[in-house]
Amino acid sequence: MARKRRSSKNKKSQLPLALGGGAAVLLLAVAAAVVMKPSAPKEGTQDSRFRVADYRADASRLTGNSYALSARVENIETLGNDRVVAVSLPNNPQERLPLLVRSGVSGRVNLTRGDTFTFYVVCRNGRDANGAEVKGIMVVEKVEAE
Amino acid sequence: MKTMISYWRACTLLCGGMLVSPVWAQGLGNVSQSNQQGTEAPKVGQSYVDTSSGETPNPQVLGMEIPLLDPASNTMTYNGAKIDVGNNELVRARFEKYLQQNPDVSSDAKRYRKKMNELLKLTQKSARSKREIGSEVLVRIGNGLYELNEYEGDSGQAASLASAIASALAVQYANRSRDRENAALEKEIDKLVERTNRYESRNTGKGTASRDKNAQAQKTTTNDYLIEHNKTKVKKKETLGVKNDAESVAATELSKINFQSTIVSMLMQRRYNHALIGAHTYRHIFRDGDTTLKIDSESQAGKLFEGGVGLPPTVNTMATIAANMRRDVDQNMEAVVNMLAQNKLGEATQSLIQAVATGEYMESVATFPIEGRRRIAEYWSLRKRALPALNARDYGTVEEIAAKLKQLDVDFDDSMLSSYCAGRKAQSDLHLRNAAKALKAGDDERFNAEITKAGTIWPKNPNLQKGREQLEKVDNQDAVRDEFRTLMARKAYRTVYNEQDKFEVVAIDQELKQQYKEAITLIGTIDGMLTQLEIIAKQDSVMGPCMAYETLLERGEQDARYKEDEKYRDALNRYALAAHDFTQALEKAKECEQRREYGSALANYYRAQCLYPRSTAAGAGARRVTEIILKAQF
Repeated sequence: MARKRRSSKNKKSQLPLALGGGAAVLLLAVAAAVVMKPSAPKEGTQDSRFRVADYRADASRLTGNSYALSARVENIETLGNDRVVAVSLPNNPQERLPLLVRSGVSGRVNLTRGDTFTFYVVCRNGRDANGAEVKGIMVVEKVEAE
Repeated sequence: MKTMISYWRACTLLCGGMLVSPVWAQGLGNVSQSNQQGTEAPKVGQSYVDTSSGETPNPQVLGMEIPLLDPASNTMTYNGAKIDVGNNELVRARFEKYLQQNPDVSSDAKRYRKKMNELLKLTQKSARSKREIGSEVLVRIGNGLYELNEYEGDSGQAASLASAIASALAVQYANRSRDRENAALEKEIDKLVERTNRYESRNTGKGTASRDKNAQAQKTTTNDYLIEHNKTKVKKKETLGVKNDAESVAATELSKINFQSTIVSMLMQRRYNHALIGAHTYRHIFRDGDTTLKIDSESQAGKLFEGGVGLPPTVNTMATIAANMRRDVDQNMEAVVNMLAQNKLGEATQSLIQAVATGEYMESVATFPIEGRRRIAEYWSLRKRALPALNARDYGTVEEIAAKLKQLDVDFDDSMLSSYCAGRKAQSDLHLRNAAKALKAGDDERFNAEITKAGTIWPKNPNLQKGREQLEKVDNQDAVRDEFRTLMARKAYRTVYNEQDKFEVVAIDQELKQQYKEAITLIGTIDGMLTQLEIIAKQDSVMGPCMAYETLLERGEQDARYKEDEKYRDALNRYALAAHDFTQALEKAKECEQRREYGSALANYYRAQCLYPRSTAAGAGARRVTEIILKAQF
């Protein structure tokens, strides 16, 4: 399942409390912190909380987030070697999510319609030829065949 | 040939008499008009016509004007006026009255006719019998005539004839009395002459003695006196005899004239049987063999009766004419029956008019069956309507009448009438067409002129009503035009469409014609499209509304006038609601695209395509955004 991960910059250490308390408290605190803190995303995992509907509503809100998505290729639009791939997620096959697959990103994986792949994506903003902003694009960084 | 001419003259006289003598023929001619023109008041026997007019007066018989019938043109000339016998009010009225009467087949009528025939046979038979005044035959004839008088249909004609016979007989009796008186006078004269002679012989005789001389002289003086006396008496008696003879001759002549007048009167009143009885009886009463009519042979009436060979007309001429007219009437009626059997109503009507005109009181005419009268009455009524309809230029009615006449009369030729009507109708319609063109061109003057021409040629042209309606529209044109302009300014195309009949008149104006057409076409197209979309939406409840919505949206984008139509807007809203997810996706896509959030925009276009794969808006949006994304740098 896909799991959202957070940036390490937001992480706060619980060590001053452990140092101020006993060793047992320290251990418990460490254990609790381990349990309660969101775990850092691990490459290749699925993020089950990602919903296309959320993306359709406001993609900018997801800028900077990375996801590992297992998705089925429904359509491919090509410009040179770059591609925009429309994929459907297993939890909502009626929706289509557009992914930008730059040249060479897929490596040896051959993207074909109807097949399911694991896409490692990051929501980014870019610029067009005129320098105008292009917001909320899911840029694929890596593709793995399933 | 002369005999034929004579017969026709007699016919014209009779027909004329027929038209003059009856009450319904009185008043023909313009007497008062002549008097008003300052002409001298006519005397008895003179024509009323103003000779200065160039018209010749009609012939006269016994002081009566005689209208002349021209059989070639079926017109009658009376006092210079030409009257169409078949279309004359008086003749028509008389004929129509006859057509509406029941056949006279009552027992009284039958008895009357039987007696009349018996009397006719008796008079014909008596013509060969011994002629004698006061004979049994004459008595029976007189009594028979008085019996005929009891029938009211005889109108006193028989009594009139009987009176004439009685008067003539009275004269004859008076003559006989005078003859006897003259005979007695002759005998007396003879005796007086004989006595006178004897007296003269005595005067010349010689005496034997001188003493007798004085006595002899005295006797001679006495004889001379007697002789003179006798001579005077003889002269007186001779004068009396001459006077009696003269009175007899005068009385006889007067009696003949009176009797002949009665016969002529009967003839002219178309009482042919009475005339025949009178003519046959005449020879019984006046045994001198003189049957010459006592009218001036140089007069026109005398010439009419003269027989065409220059001989003076006689009572026999009258009898011949009466007999011929009887035969002619019977033949006419026979022809009427035959022509009715062949459905030749036109010829049958003409023959019946002639028969009624010349022999109204004849048995064959009076007993003509009611069925035949009704058939002819129907034909006559139609024919009577034709001329006024033609005069009124009611060509539609004329054609209807002609068609009905054609049905009734196998010989009726309606080709000329139909061609004439069709031509006039076409002329009228042509002017109406020109009027319509003038109206469209805004040429009021020409429009009025053409309408007037069309109405003059065919006043009852049904297309004239359309012209009037167009005229009313033209009158209201300005107000309608203003209203139309207001509606077009408000882009209320549907109001124009709903009241297109009312606003059609603005099409006359070239400026507004295009706008009117466009409004009608636009709303017609919208309605047609909405009908089709409704059918499709019902067939597919998911994609149907999507397609309808997108189609309406596209059309609205293509033509801004669509959005002005309320029905269009209602439909768009209705389909937007039915295809809520699709419309939301499209709107969201456009919104995101405007915010340059192309990822969300493309995802929404994809969503819309999922709901309606054939969506052109979603496809175009997806292609557009995809291109932007592919060309962007990240």
